[in-house]
Amino acid sequence: MRENPVTRPIAELSGDLRLGKLTSLDLVENALDRITMLDRKLESFVCLAEDARDQAAAADREIAQGRWRSPLHGVPVAVKDNYLTADMPSRAGTDAPGVHFAREDCAVVAKLRKAGAIIVGKTRMHEFAWGNVTPPSKNPWNLSCVPGGSSGGSGAVVAARIVPMAMGSDTGGSIRIPAALCGTVGLKPTFGRVSRAGIVPHSWSLDHAGPLSYTVADSVHALNAISGHDPKDPGSARADVADFTAALGQPLTGLRIGICLNHMFDNNQPDVDAAIDAAIRFYRDAGARLVEFELPILAFGLGAIFAIELSSSTAYHSRNLTSGAVTGFTDDVRTLVEMGRLVTGPDYLKAEQLRRVLIEDLAKVFADIDVIIGPTCPLTAWPIGEWTVRVGTQDESVLAASWRLTYPWNLAGLPAISLPCGFDRAGLPIGLQLASRPFDEMTLIRAADAYERGHDWKDMRPKL
Amino acid sequence: MNEMEKLTEALGIQLEKQRRSTVLAAFQPIAQEIAKLRSLDLTDVHPAVVFSPVPTSQQE
Repeated sequence: MRENPVTRPIAELSGDLRLGKLTSLDLVENALDRITMLDRKLESFVCLAEDARDQAAAADREIAQGRWRSPLHGVPVAVKDNYLTADMPSRAGTDAPGVHFAREDCAVVAKLRKAGAIIVGKTRMHEFAWGNVTPPSKNPWNLSCVPGGSSGGSGAVVAARIVPMAMGSDTGGSIRIPAALCGTVGLKPTFGRVSRAGIVPHSWSLDHAGPLSYTVADSVHALNAISGHDPKDPGSARADVADFTAALGQPLTGLRIGICLNHMFDNNQPDVDAAIDAAIRFYRDAGARLVEFELPILAFGLGAIFAIELSSSTAYHSRNLTSGAVTGFTDDVRTLVEMGRLVTGPDYLKAEQLRRVLIEDLAKVFADIDVIIGPTCPLTAWPIGEWTVRVGTQDESVLAASWRLTYPWNLAGLPAISLPCGFDRAGLPIGLQLASRPFDEMTLIRAADAYERGHDWKDMRPKL
Repeated sequence: MNEMEKLTEALGIQLEKQRRSTVLAAFQPIAQEIAKLRSLDLTDVHPAVVFSPVPTSQQE
């Protein structure tokens, strides 16, 4: 057995598992060893499955009997702490007394288990997905820096090569931000593509479920396993589910890459801008056509997402406000939950009107382009405890800056992906963000996979 | 009782005095963004929410 097999991508692991060159038990033991060795530094797992070895042994027996289920069969993965699980408690990142969640598998966990994945544990998240720091998790590239959030634990454990895939959730960037800051792939599918049933809600019309992984292909294998209509999620779409692996290995010739001249490049760290410029040149040189456009409505997007996210979160937490459980929340999250009552009904509906305009404007843009390119975050990972950093030409709140480039695609529900595209001068990862038409994950994956194959960023690993 | 206290009471928002100042201070930059949204004339735009009288379990 090669050293640390769990650090290899799912496609490789799956091939070896099917051929009997590797066992699921080997992989799970390797993952558990790495958790023991590394998570005391990263503090990114909150719970481990007691029966992970039993699950792995069962997977090995099935594979040996020729009952192979999918590329995830026998592969250890993790899920964010807001994904309900029958075999592990769920806390959604909170320690508040009086807040309880059901012990049952959410829809995505059920699908992952059906695909044969071994869920070895649950990852730390910012409390109730209301933030992008995820204390006390650390960034594997620099332990004094944040991993991002709210799926910060998933970003950290994937970047540290403990598991090849961990699920996250994304309301304003919470998959893509930790992916960018930790140097992993993070995929937010189209709104409605993946069921949220059984995931602790944050904001019903903005929440998305999706994977963080070593490679684009690894996220594709996860997407294949978890996509599909679910009547238990009112936001679930009856969209066709293709085999998304068909988009892997495709050329870029003829692809139209859109560059949004406003908002996306207004104020980014210089190293981030330089990395994105290089990525744009890569697409041009590979045969894609570059198309510039503007989306003026984005100037009003921040107010819209705040109005929706605040009022939705406060509505969800009304029981906790009434019972007083909110007093057990961390100060920042308690303030946001209490604050939502200041957003008016007309504000909420106006935000939903704004969304309609954004969706229509984007439809016009997508008549001339296939993929929108830009940075995932205007900045790289910032030091733990710092709330203001230099971004471009000005000092800015890290909380305000970090989601500026991701939340537009939550408002519009577009599929979007973050993938590594370089490092800043301090050695911290930079994320490239791509977005495509609703339910056109095929084109998104085609563009992301081609970029990844043209570079070796996915092979870079933090020294822990 | 000042105007702000009257307003929060009228809205049924129960916050201790200390919490009220914390929440209001944190809300100020957000309120500025929402004010931009309020300035837009979207009269003829249907919001991106559609009511359905059909129970969730029976929706196609």
